[in-house]
Amino acid sequence: MQSVLSATRSTTKRSFSTSARRWQAVPQQKPVLVKEFKIYRWNPDEPEKKPQLQSYKIDLNQTGPMVLDALIKIKNEMDPTLTFRRSCREGICGSCAMNIDGQNTLACLCRIDRNEKKNTKIYPLPHMYIVKDLVPDMTQFYKQYKSIQPWLQNDNPPEKGEFLQSPEDRKKLDGMYECILCACCSTSCPSYWWNQDEYLGPATLMQAYRWIADSRDSHGAERKERLQNEMSLYRCHTIFNCSRTCPKGLNPAAAIAKIKLELAAD
Amino acid sequence: MPPIKSGLQKDVLKLYRRALRMVRSKPAPVRAKFQLFVRYTFHDNATKVSPRNVSFIEHLLRKGTRQVEAYEDPGVKDCWVSEDMMAWDKVWRKGTQRTTA
Repeated sequence: MQSVLSATRSTTKRSFSTSARRWQAVPQQKPVLVKEFKIYRWNPDEPEKKPQLQSYKIDLNQTGPMVLDALIKIKNEMDPTLTFRRSCREGICGSCAMNIDGQNTLACLCRIDRNEKKNTKIYPLPHMYIVKDLVPDMTQFYKQYKSIQPWLQNDNPPEKGEFLQSPEDRKKLDGMYECILCACCSTSCPSYWWNQDEYLGPATLMQAYRWIADSRDSHGAERKERLQNEMSLYRCHTIFNCSRTCPKGLNPAAAIAKIKLELAAD
Repeated sequence: MPPIKSGLQKDVLKLYRRALRMVRSKPAPVRAKFQLFVRYTFHDNATKVSPRNVSFIEHLLRKGTRQVEAYEDPGVKDCWVSEDMMAWDKVWRKGTQRTTA
């Protein structure tokens, strides 16, 4: 009896020493790294209050690596009234475009600067009308995108099956079809700031060229005709802010240059 | 001579007229509801917002334009009228009767 008891005791002892709890990693105490975020705030429900920068201090060691993680943490834990657009958190939807430390970029692709002595300033996209806090009014941008008729137009569809395209023709679309229309490039362009109503802006122009360059599209001439005026295309003065800021690493300025070349060659 | 209106005032009135024209394009039975909605929205904002707060009035103009554009769609056949709107309408009607009587 005694031996049985001691045997069970020893097994229980052993099971405890190898139990799941012991195998879990012990959480390491990380040092507290407090960083200040200054975020543009404006609430349309309080019309008498002017826009202002609100300061939030968070511990970077309790936050994900990207600015969007910090924004979500602030919204979840500190201030649920903070308003911003976000969706995919991996740079494929283009919702979280904003101006972070003076650069238009996607919050989800922008790493937090871990220097705690410097604060990070977050503004909405520049020269856009604001709906609330970091949410800009994109109506005009989408209207312009619609105006270039961004869909395949061909009067002679193949008798059966799909449109065929050679690998070389397909290659022409690389670097353009990846655009997610986050509007970072358009809102970084001074020409677009001053002529938003008429100048189409780099994002829209790159998409215009995406359809001009497509070998399956037969309405290229009409597409070019629509750009043949002073404002829509030629307000681009090759400032190159668009290519510098693009969070996806695309080159809208090159696409615009190619449209200009094709229009000049006509 | 009527007082000269600022550009902003003209823009607001332009939007108001456009909204009232939108009301006329709606089916007769619900037209009164649309009209109350438009009138209430404009009058309510006019009392709440200072005429000097230009940036906010511009914001309301943009918001209103987007709203009117949505309502102009022929697919929009009805709208919802809140208690507040009906209460405001009653008071407003009384006020006009008193002035006319």
